[in-house]
Amino acid sequence: MLRRNTLVFIIVVIIFAIALCVVFPVEKGILGGKDMRLGLDLVGGSHLVYQAQFPEGATGEDKARAMDRTLETIRTRIDKYGVTEPIIQSQEGDRVLVQLPGFTDIEEAKKLVEQTGFLEFREVELNQGGNPVYLGDYLENSNPEFFNDGVEGSRIFVGEGVDGKHYPVVFLVKDEAGNLSYRDEADNSIDVEELKQIEAEIKAQLVSGSAALLSWIPARGDEGTQLTGNFLAEATPMVATKPTGAEFQVGIKWNEEGGVIFDQVAKRLYNSGQYGTPQRALGIFLDNVLLSFPQILESAYHGEGVITGNFTMAETERLANLLESGALPMPLEKPPLYEEVISATLGAGFIDKSVKAGLIGIILIMLFMIIYYRLPGVLASLALIFYGAVVLAIFKLVPVTLTLAGIGGFVLSIGMAVDANVLIFERMKEELRAGRTLGAAIEAGFNRAWAAIRDSNITTFIICGILYWLGSNIVASAPVMGFALTLFFGVAVSMFTAIVVTRTLLRLFVGSRLAQKTSLFRVYSGRDNV
Amino acid sequence: MFDITGKRFWFFLISAVVIVIGIISLASFGRLKLGVEFSSGSMMRVSFEQPVAQEELRDELVSLGYTDVIIQSTREGDFYIRTHKLSEDEKAGLQHALTDRFGEVQETEFYSVSPWVATETANNAAIAVAVAAVGILLYITWAFRRMPKPFRYGICAIVALVHDVLVALGIFSILGSILGWEINLMFITGILAVIGYSVNNTVVIFDRIRENLARGISSNFEVVVNNSLVETLSRSLNTSLTTIVVVVALLLFVGASIQNFAVVLLIGIIAGTYSSLYIAPLLLVVWEKGEWGRFVKWLAPSRSQS
Repeated sequence: MLRRNTLVFIIVVIIFAIALCVVFPVEKGILGGKDMRLGLDLVGGSHLVYQAQFPEGATGEDKARAMDRTLETIRTRIDKYGVTEPIIQSQEGDRVLVQLPGFTDIEEAKKLVEQTGFLEFREVELNQGGNPVYLGDYLENSNPEFFNDGVEGSRIFVGEGVDGKHYPVVFLVKDEAGNLSYRDEADNSIDVEELKQIEAEIKAQLVSGSAALLSWIPARGDEGTQLTGNFLAEATPMVATKPTGAEFQVGIKWNEEGGVIFDQVAKRLYNSGQYGTPQRALGIFLDNVLLSFPQILESAYHGEGVITGNFTMAETERLANLLESGALPMPLEKPPLYEEVISATLGAGFIDKSVKAGLIGIILIMLFMIIYYRLPGVLASLALIFYGAVVLAIFKLVPVTLTLAGIGGFVLSIGMAVDANVLIFERMKEELRAGRTLGAAIEAGFNRAWAAIRDSNITTFIICGILYWLGSNIVASAPVMGFALTLFFGVAVSMFTAIVVTRTLLRLFVGSRLAQKTSLFRVYSGRDNV
Repeated sequence: MFDITGKRFWFFLISAVVIVIGIISLASFGRLKLGVEFSSGSMMRVSFEQPVAQEELRDELVSLGYTDVIIQSTREGDFYIRTHKLSEDEKAGLQHALTDRFGEVQETEFYSVSPWVATETANNAAIAVAVAAVGILLYITWAFRRMPKPFRYGICAIVALVHDVLVALGIFSILGSILGWEINLMFITGILAVIGYSVNNTVVIFDRIRENLARGISSNFEVVVNNSLVETLSRSLNTSLTTIVVVVALLLFVGASIQNFAVVLLIGIIAGTYSSLYIAPLLLVVWEKGEWGRFVKWLAPSRSQS
């Protein structure tokens, strides 16, 4: 019996030693190499949740694939920013959750995530002055010369307004009689007067550089494939020295197929403007915004090129990142459903404060236990130290992301951890008073208290499960999940501590001479006040 | 030995008074204000270099057109500013205006919730509380399945739990009307923790009743309950005390961000200790004796006396 107890004691000591190694790693990389994973509210950072906009009629399988691809694309973009341990996951299959610890520029974070990153090349019509032609030019000056039969397909004007307001895509087509007419996507004709109104409305809210209302056709290779960012192999930010100063641009390399298509387009554009055809430039559009419209000065580029525009260095870096990670297969609804940003300084303050709160709480509890229960109180305090080390080690190993609420759960579980001990000690005192020997009282105390400890802790587990469910079903999940997990582990370990550790320590004392003094257990024969 | 069960109606009366005050508060001046998680909007925590008075800040925000703004100050001298859901431009404009008026300002926390998500969060929180109640009812009924009428134990534990939630809500609403606190997600988390804690305590006492009944210490149910209560009294108080100590430490040192949580816990633990000692077991006695009518009779003269 005693021997078995010694064995358990040794195991407990080993567990404690391992826990300590994990919590305070002497040499990083052995067991506790990674540091405690801290939630956004403790390290600061951004938290965004977006609603995905699946194309209409997408099947469940399509959606799942699009979601996987979206998460992967966002992850690629974010990885290049060196954010440590970002969390990018889907919620309920149709939402995207992004958590960027330490990344507190939320507007930048939003750009990084939201931007669809769809790069398209279009042939943009230029007027004689070398400027792009807009819908207005057609409307005001119904000169059909702008429209040329030599070009296949119709002119397209996309009237996408700012703030996500959508206007109809307008096609300009020439009927058999040679008259121009404006058509919408469903091929209904649009009245010119109505179109003028729409144009004025869009123009009033246009930001410069917007591609809305431009006259363009898709840039296609000879086989009809449109040139898009999907054919890019590489994109790198570059600086070119120009007489006007440094110019930031993005160098691109096409893949094999892209190189061929690009040269076919380039050849056609190089020859445009001759024989009375409209002159065209290569419009580079990112998410429907015109970045630049370089004129093609060579007939072949052999797979390389640059994207120029009015860029800052930071912008070229972001653009290159965006192009390389590829386009999102579906847009995300703007603005996000939920956004949160917490500064790092606020978070750091919380850590100090919670450590302080936790320590003071533990010390007060120990004092109380020792004063009230004497020797068992001392043993329970030792068990509490064991408890703290093991719980923290579990947090690190699982790992549990520690949030402010999680710390709350941990601190609360310290209070509750004592509960099992209290239950047992109270039981022991009763048994001692009933005249049992110490050894018998200890065993009876533990055995009798077990049912109460088990039943009461199961109710706490039920609550933890429900909180976990709640946390996984809501957008602002971190606090609820953090609390549920820490409370769960806290209560589970506290049961183990009380049943195994405290009991083992007490049994060790049974045989010793200390055990003869019942005053150490605060049981007096005469003045019993309870 | 204390006679707890004999004073059962007094204990019920104390609870009833606290709950009625709480309900009056909830229904009139202390209507619970829902935080942005449940009602959508934006919440911003700002800290100014120079000290700024809350009234000045409010006047400035109202003059900027934020007439529905709610401002809450923290112990650290920061402010939580709650508005409707801000767009990017509005947010930038607001920061700009505050800097112009009060000098250097730092935004240390910001979150923004869309109405749709808010409704969903509120629904899920309500479901969670309901499922918790049902789950516990079922579990306790199961855990006491060998007892005669196990369902009673479950029901009494649930009554104690509802008691604690009502007390917490009532007192929170009184505090909220004075200090401008809102019901946020941390509050709901706190309520669920209180539910867990309260039932935990109740089960320990029920467990002792079960054991004493099995030992047959008395044929009188009232005596059994009273003995069980007295025997577990020091355990109940000690556990509550240790838990209260850590929660107070949390409240004092960590501050504003989990203040709602800590306050709910504190009220809830006190209410939970009370209800697990004086409500749940004593209801069992009342039920066993079928003396609901006596409580009403007892109540009438006792009021006329006082």
